[in-house]
Amino acid sequence: MIDLAPWLCWIMPTIGSIAHYLLPKRIGRKRYIVTIGFTFITFIMATTMLPLLPIHGYKEIGGIWLSLPDGNYVEFAILIDNLSIILTNLVAFLSLLILIYSYKYMEGEPGEDRYWFFMSLFVGGMLILILANNFIFFFIGWKIVGLCSFALISHYYSDERKYWIGGPEPYPFQKPSRCGLKALFVTTLGDVALLASIIIIYLYSGTFSFMELYKNVNIWMSEIAKTPGLLTITILLFLCGPFSKSAQFPFHEWLPEAMSGPTPVSALIHAATMVKAGVYLVARVLPIFYFGTWILGIKEAYNFFLIVAIIGGFTAFLAATQAMVAIELKKVLAYSTMSVIGYMMLGLGIAGISSETLIEGFTSSIFHLINHGIFKAALFLCAGVLIHASGSIYITDMKLSSRTMKFTWIFMWISSLALIGIPPLSGFWSKEGILSSCYISGQYWIFILSVLTVAVTSFYVIRLMGVTFHSPNENNSNKNHEHGEASKIMLIPYGILAILTVIIGIVGPWINNMLYEFFAKEFYDIHLLEFHTLSIAHESIIPTILSIVMIVIGGLPAYYVYIANKLSSINIIERYGILKAFHKFLWNRWYIDSAFNKIFVYPILASREPTEKYLEGNMDLAINVGIPKLFSHISNNIRRIQTGILSINMLYALTFFVIILVFVIWVII
Amino acid sequence: MGDHMMYIPYALLQIVILPLIFSPIIALIGMKIGKRVGWITCSVLTYTTFLLIITGYNIWNSSSPIIEEYSWSIFLFNLKFGFLADGLSLPVALIMNIICNALVVYSIEYLDHRIHVIYKKSSNSLNAYYYSLFMFFATGLMGISFATNLIEVYVFLDILLIPLYFIMDSFGYIDRHKIAMMCFIWGFVAGVIFLGGSIIAYSQIGSFEISELSALIGKPLAIIASLFMLLGMLIKLAVFGFHVWLPWVHAEHPTCIAGILAAIVGIENYLIARIFIQHLFEIFELFSLPLMIWALITMIYGAMLTIAQDDVKRLYACSTIGQTAYSLLGLASCTTFGAIGGVFYFLSHSLGKAILFSVAGIIVYQTGIRNMQEMGGLAKKMPITASLCILGSMILSAIPPLSGFFAEWIMFVGIFGRGSFNMINMLIAIIGLFATFLTLIYTFWPAIRMFFGPLPSSLNNTKEAPLIMLLPLIILALISFIIGIYPEFITRFLTSSLTLGK
Repeated sequence: MIDLAPWLCWIMPTIGSIAHYLLPKRIGRKRYIVTIGFTFITFIMATTMLPLLPIHGYKEIGGIWLSLPDGNYVEFAILIDNLSIILTNLVAFLSLLILIYSYKYMEGEPGEDRYWFFMSLFVGGMLILILANNFIFFFIGWKIVGLCSFALISHYYSDERKYWIGGPEPYPFQKPSRCGLKALFVTTLGDVALLASIIIIYLYSGTFSFMELYKNVNIWMSEIAKTPGLLTITILLFLCGPFSKSAQFPFHEWLPEAMSGPTPVSALIHAATMVKAGVYLVARVLPIFYFGTWILGIKEAYNFFLIVAIIGGFTAFLAATQAMVAIELKKVLAYSTMSVIGYMMLGLGIAGISSETLIEGFTSSIFHLINHGIFKAALFLCAGVLIHASGSIYITDMKLSSRTMKFTWIFMWISSLALIGIPPLSGFWSKEGILSSCYISGQYWIFILSVLTVAVTSFYVIRLMGVTFHSPNENNSNKNHEHGEASKIMLIPYGILAILTVIIGIVGPWINNMLYEFFAKEFYDIHLLEFHTLSIAHESIIPTILSIVMIVIGGLPAYYVYIANKLSSINIIERYGILKAFHKFLWNRWYIDSAFNKIFVYPILASREPTEKYLEGNMDLAINVGIPKLFSHISNNIRRIQTGILSINMLYALTFFVIILVFVIWVII
Repeated sequence: MGDHMMYIPYALLQIVILPLIFSPIIALIGMKIGKRVGWITCSVLTYTTFLLIITGYNIWNSSSPIIEEYSWSIFLFNLKFGFLADGLSLPVALIMNIICNALVVYSIEYLDHRIHVIYKKSSNSLNAYYYSLFMFFATGLMGISFATNLIEVYVFLDILLIPLYFIMDSFGYIDRHKIAMMCFIWGFVAGVIFLGGSIIAYSQIGSFEISELSALIGKPLAIIASLFMLLGMLIKLAVFGFHVWLPWVHAEHPTCIAGILAAIVGIENYLIARIFIQHLFEIFELFSLPLMIWALITMIYGAMLTIAQDDVKRLYACSTIGQTAYSLLGLASCTTFGAIGGVFYFLSHSLGKAILFSVAGIIVYQTGIRNMQEMGGLAKKMPITASLCILGSMILSAIPPLSGFFAEWIMFVGIFGRGSFNMINMLIAIIGLFATFLTLIYTFWPAIRMFFGPLPSSLNNTKEAPLIMLLPLIILALISFIIGIYPEFITRFLTSSLTLGK
């Protein structure tokens, strides 16, 4: 049973994706309950694996899939260890709730069959990549996730005006089909790089299996390191994969536009699947690079952690600042996802940046992943309700009242505060963990940046809630939309999530310690920590105090302006030129998107005409027209000789005989 | 092992010759029953497919090749008419045959429509003409796959030119007479160059047998002979510089033939594997680096050219240039992985391209327009066609769980494997892999231009294509899917005959 459970975990939603197509159409929407049922089985199967925790070492179940010509093989097997069990449970649980929520949310939306197909496949793909024991199997899940995200982001592919995002006038809008394509392109660019590095690693190690790679790291990594720079190139190529999936700088521009699909899709992408895949991959290979850096002493392997930490820390800040000015509800949440994922990356980077912070960094990062999954799913599910209720995607137009939808209001506040990291909610503990391990590791620049991000986060979250629910004209609220509390099928899922946020928060330190022990034990079992005595972190109170101060620094102005409505944000910005410029800079997303467009997209589009007209056109002309012309030219010239006049022909004959004669004489002599 | 053999006499001969024998019969029956004769064509090909599967089953079990030899000419040269089914030729022949079969079924509706468009009437004889010519494709492709000597290869390459010329001339699109001639001349010139190389090789070793070609190594004219043969193949393969015929010929053919043309272009990759990788490896290695660079240029240029297209048929035509160059890159890497991946990729691409071209054909069939700027939102009207287009795009862009993914990574293991020794090779490998990213742009972006976005009011009455056109494509996609989840179906065959010494 236990051996079968992980297999069923990914098989169920994958098969379930076509279940509703096979059922007779006359059953109507009840068919989708069957689809949800498959994910429910996954959820049950996932929970049966929970008692296995903490697992000693790891377990692989499966067989040979494909034998390769060099005698190696690719396995079709599943890897069970603490990380995969925890993540499987998280994904199964969140997906189940999101699917249940969608049952109500998607009622009457176009293309429902397609929606359920891709949602279920999405979950299946995510579970494949979590459970796979080797890179090839993993990559299949990875690509399925990418494809499903493309399909779901461009769900409203007809690009009707009401599904456009971006704006408002006079700013440009984005259409769903383009948003999906952008996501596909950006993530695939990362995938290609990732595949390149997987192949390079394979050529040196002869295996795709994660655990084999770990066991033989001393052989292959030392071998790669013999060529200077090659390991760094491999690491860079490798990290493009997780960075693009997890929307980290410089591959982050697809995520803010990825909310053009139905809201449960956003919830799934942000909380359970897709963006978490990148974090998972980094965590999955982290022991390999840790071993290389700290036990084998390979200097270049250290770059892995350095890059992850710097990019993570920077993206956290970058995204958070952009969230301060965004006015689309889901866009604010999208930025916050990028920012929080940045924290997770930072935590994983820190785990290897100093030899002492391995478990602190790793644990707090995974803990943050769990917490974020829960509260972000709640936030997005709430957002879906708000958008339905208000009929607007802009927080400035929502003018909702906390009275008419009390539960949603409460749940959303709880999740938001967890996002800021207010004690004792769940987000607080994991964020503290990341900050303090960053502090301990001695990377003060990154630490300062991430503490600043705390203030920014606090600001934008309170602004979000303030503008949405506490706008000054709350009383003359939107008359067009009679909004009340959401239906129970929708309310209960995010209610559960919000309550869970509180519960995890209350027992936070205990869970943190539990995870700490799990991973510490595992790392001992795989001999990652053999050579190091586990130094009990010199607990420091400084990061905690700093971050609470920062929450207040960021939160108070936001409270004054957006909740208490003592000041008008527009007036403040108009008054100070520098703030206005700053606002413009952030509103334009640091001009990164437009820069990418100028560097990559426009040149490709601009190259189209010259390529067809000049390059291909001229080559075509030269060869397909030129050569035949040449022949006809030659033949015309030759034809001219044949005049048909008898005397001239006689002349030719004479010449011919003379030549023959001369030749014969020359031969004889 | 022997117990599992299912022996069918003259299986390979039947596979190659039967279509040709049926060609006049189909012409006669077709005069009476018109387009329905397509079903007879289909049943002949189904029978040969069945034979191929049996043969494949035997090879899978015994892992030894099957050879049939018939005397051809004993006067001037001792020439045998041999057929060799081994791990390399069998999957190629099988996939080619399945594609032919699928496209025959597809053409039943499509071609009749085409006849109405061109000749403004329904005509039994034109249908008969088409299907009897179509049989030449099956014979040609099967013959190339199983051929054991260079003359056979040449003959079957030229057999392919006959239907290509006549079908283009009668049923093609814009400027069909001129382009039919262009197609014939290019194909013929390439064939003659190949024949020239074969004759030079014969002058050195006294044999046309492919299996005896390795004796050529070390002979004075070995390089010249190889260069000629290779040049002939490269012209047909449409590498950069020689590609100018392909966009015309490929795009203006009826789409059912365009799908086959992609296979005809790609099968040169198989010939490179058969002739050079298997028997002239030492000589091929000399060309390795220049060929890889040439392939790389072709990949990038082909991608740029494809991205530049607005015409849906020309789009998929141009994409063939880059796609076949991927296989060439794999083969030219001179590694086991590269060769296996290269041939595998060619098979996968043929499946994908047959689907995509047929999708383009369906769009032209249903809407009458080719310009993608005038399209949009068609997914609403033709959801299955749209899904097929995405599936075909997935095969080309190597997105699992379809066949392209395994083919691509296996191929790139080879390309990188050659490359990890020095920086230039590494660079080629990385640029090559990033060039596959361009595939995604030129497959998915057009798909979105055609099927997503708002529906122009002029296309409001568009209907989904008839099932008879969709079903063959669905089967092709299904085959790609099966290979995609169990690639051993292809790789085990290829590995058994393409494993290089090193």
